[in-house]
Amino acid sequence: MTAAATDPGVRRAPVRPGLRRRRRRQLVAPWLLLAPALAILATLLFWPLVRMVDLSLQDYGLRELNRKETNYVGFDNYRDILADDYLWSTVLPNTIGFAVAAVGCTVAFGTLVALFLYRLPALWRTICSSAIMVAWAMPAVTGTYVWVWLFDPTNGLASKVLAGLGWIDPHQVNWFADRLGFYSIVLLNVVHHGFPFVAVTVLAGLMTIPNELYEAARMDGASATRQFWSITVPMLKPVFAVVTILSTIWDFKVFAQIYLMPGGDGGNRDVFNLGVWSYIESFAQHKYGYGSAIAVLLTLALLAITIVYLRTLFREDEDL
Amino acid sequence: MNRRLRPLRTAGLALGVVALLTFTLFPAYWMVSTAFDAHPTQRGANLLPTELTTRHFGVVLGRGGFLQYLGNAALVALVTVLVSSLVALLAAVAVARFRFPLRRSVLIMILIVQMVPLEALVIPLFIQAKSLHLLNSLLGLSVVYIAFSLSFAIWMLRGFVAAVPKEIEEAAYVDGASWGQMFTRVLMPLVMPGVVATSIFSFITAWNEFIFALTFLQSSEKYTVSIGLRKFFGEYTSEWGPIMAASTLITLPVVVFFLFVQRNLVSGLAAGAVKG
Repeated sequence: MTAAATDPGVRRAPVRPGLRRRRRRQLVAPWLLLAPALAILATLLFWPLVRMVDLSLQDYGLRELNRKETNYVGFDNYRDILADDYLWSTVLPNTIGFAVAAVGCTVAFGTLVALFLYRLPALWRTICSSAIMVAWAMPAVTGTYVWVWLFDPTNGLASKVLAGLGWIDPHQVNWFADRLGFYSIVLLNVVHHGFPFVAVTVLAGLMTIPNELYEAARMDGASATRQFWSITVPMLKPVFAVVTILSTIWDFKVFAQIYLMPGGDGGNRDVFNLGVWSYIESFAQHKYGYGSAIAVLLTLALLAITIVYLRTLFREDEDL
Repeated sequence: MNRRLRPLRTAGLALGVVALLTFTLFPAYWMVSTAFDAHPTQRGANLLPTELTTRHFGVVLGRGGFLQYLGNAALVALVTVLVSSLVALLAAVAVARFRFPLRRSVLIMILIVQMVPLEALVIPLFIQAKSLHLLNSLLGLSVVYIAFSLSFAIWMLRGFVAAVPKEIEEAAYVDGASWGQMFTRVLMPLVMPGVVATSIFSFITAWNEFIFALTFLQSSEKYTVSIGLRKFFGEYTSEWGPIMAASTLITLPVVVFFLFVQRNLVSGLAAGAVKG
């Protein structure tokens, strides 16, 4: 009976009515349960993405917005963006350069912290983990304001300390105006906020590595550095892959951390990344079509990274 | 182990703990201590404020209108939490309890939409909301936040639902319960810890969100905290005391909630990467 019920060739064979009802429920019920979620995601995430692509093919400004008109111009927006020297000399270096630096620093520092926490006695490990949770929990908005305050050129702690040491003249310095200074502060902000996730995840991974491996390595006379590169790194490869890719996705689309800094909301075009540029073009210049085209480029870049992420993830977790 | 090295090792670890705690907690300390500092701009490089005051909090809640912003943000977050937890729980049951065609595709699609940048969505959604007259409405904002918190909530709850043994459900059926009764009386109580954790995460998402609040909310009586803070910042430039006092008020509930759900959050984010 059970064999007949599972074999597709003899599905028409008479089955008990209760079994058939259960089979139908197995097919219909999950879709009923999923329906609200899928409807929300389709209307609020998927459809807007389609609209974004549609807008990117238009010269869509305030006039079109108020009159609800369309104004298709083909690929003009993309041609303008890709031909713009500003994209290549400022926006892309800001976006990619920052993401590379931030991901590198976050993963390296987070791993160091994880290795350190691993060596601590249980009580201190708990205390330190809770402390780094505070750094993680700090909202991006308030966290950014604290960093801006710390580096305030006239009254901030950093300029007072450096002026006290005689390294800078507080009336001459404005780190926010300079592109490198600006992004150094963003880097500090993003790494401070992002390393706890890496540290906690890598620590969880470290706990799963059997201690015998390290004991055997010590007996063979391997140094701590050697143990790290020959045991820890290969064993934790999937963990490193996940934290690296997730950090890349997050650092690629930092917005509030730049927009809320002095000059980041439009005053200083030298410091825009893709997301901020798209936002300023749309909402400050009212060039919604042009802004959408930039947003499409950002989305495509993130999609590519996401696909890498999914491949890594599902190699590890085949039984989804 | 070499005995002579022990004290040296302990000293090294202690030094590391001090350095780590200083680095991680310093911004939070600076925020709170500025909020209570009577003369924040004259503090210079002093680690402790010279005179303590609660005046800045009075300014924030009175002149700054922050009571209203806190209320708005709480309302938006609450609506988001209620709707998204319920919808996510239903979806999580579907993907954790049933085997059906396209199940894997649905899961992957839910994961992909989570990666879509908000900066990209804000343009079409702004135009949509404008034509539906949902701009400057807290309800419109909640609807958007529900969508954003949903995919993460589904992924997190999926694990909690899957952890409930199937035998318990089957026992309920044997006792004559319908699916609905089994869901509300058996499954719901068992996954409640997961629902709480997910709810807190959705709450934090809505409470912290910046770009949509900035774009959608136009009159100041509708501001949520993240935007209220920005307006406040512009109006009283370099009044760091009130700004940090407001930041403290915003940060406090998030930190408390975060410490509450930290373990679930990590397992949800790592999504099986550690299990191997």
